[in-house]
Amino acid sequence: MSLQDLWRMSYDSHTIDILRNSKYAIPVIQSFHLFGITLLLGSMVILNLRLSGIGLKQIPMALLAKQVWRLAIGGLLLAMATGFLVFLPDPARYAANYAFRTKMVALCVAVGFQFLIYRKVIRSGAAESGSPRNIMVACCSLTSWFLVGWAGRAIAFLG
Amino acid sequence: MSIVSWCHWLQNTSWATSMRQSDYMFPIIEGSHILALSLSVGLIVLLDLRLLRLVLPSERVTKIMNQVMPWALPGFAIMFVTGLLLFFAQAEKVYTNGYFRVKMLVLVILGINALIYQLKFYPAMAEWDLSESVPRGAQVIAITSLAFWMIVIACGRLMAYEL
Repeated sequence: MSLQDLWRMSYDSHTIDILRNSKYAIPVIQSFHLFGITLLLGSMVILNLRLSGIGLKQIPMALLAKQVWRLAIGGLLLAMATGFLVFLPDPARYAANYAFRTKMVALCVAVGFQFLIYRKVIRSGAAESGSPRNIMVACCSLTSWFLVGWAGRAIAFLG
Repeated sequence: MSIVSWCHWLQNTSWATSMRQSDYMFPIIEGSHILALSLSVGLIVLLDLRLLRLVLPSERVTKIMNQVMPWALPGFAIMFVTGLLLFFAQAEKVYTNGYFRVKMLVLVILGINALIYQLKFYPAMAEWDLSESVPRGAQVIAITSLAFWMIVIACGRLMAYEL
């Protein structure tokens, strides 16, 4: 089954009709999407302030890398689950939206960077100091996540 | 002059109109208002979770507060300024929006909540900020803060559907 068929099926499904026809379902899900984003971006701001050596210098990176990392992943999962629920009732509208497409590409880049590179960097001993390499990694991380956020905001403005 | 007619006048001033109708200004201000949630509420969440001992229990609350607040305060300043501009742009509709009114009321409650913490718990923090138990009252304040910030975010999102 292709992705296209999957969207077709979800569009035709009566279960998804409940989401589509309810006045409050999507707005409430969108609110939870924002809770997830707040948690994810807030955690990434904390981790990157520390990684770049600009802020939170008195808190050991090793602690943040374990505990705030968990908050970030929790926020990401909440945002992705709720985002999927917003997408399902209206896949054609989103698929045709350039901001949405940009957001999905940016999301893949951000998630890839987060798990393949970022996680290793913040867990290594070298993460305790604000070295030029750490500053660069922090900039890449923040740029990728905020790009996802801005592209997401742009979806509404491009229809 | 009633508040509604003042709002009407406000949103019809030339600069509020040009902000509302601009292709870029309005989206940029609105996007900044939303993404600055990370700096404002996002950082307060860390503090609240620490008071509940759910994150960084081995670090002093005072230390986390001193490290986080210098970043959270500019975040709240961005929220306030961008929020004010968004209000100017659509003052009449926003003022009569039920969700907006709930949001403002809850923000006042959050302000009082923070004030109670500053007056009642902040002065004596050094006595308990590394111990196993955070005073019950401070935990109630942390839970109130988490729950009510969620209501603020939800009201902000919900009101946009009616503008």
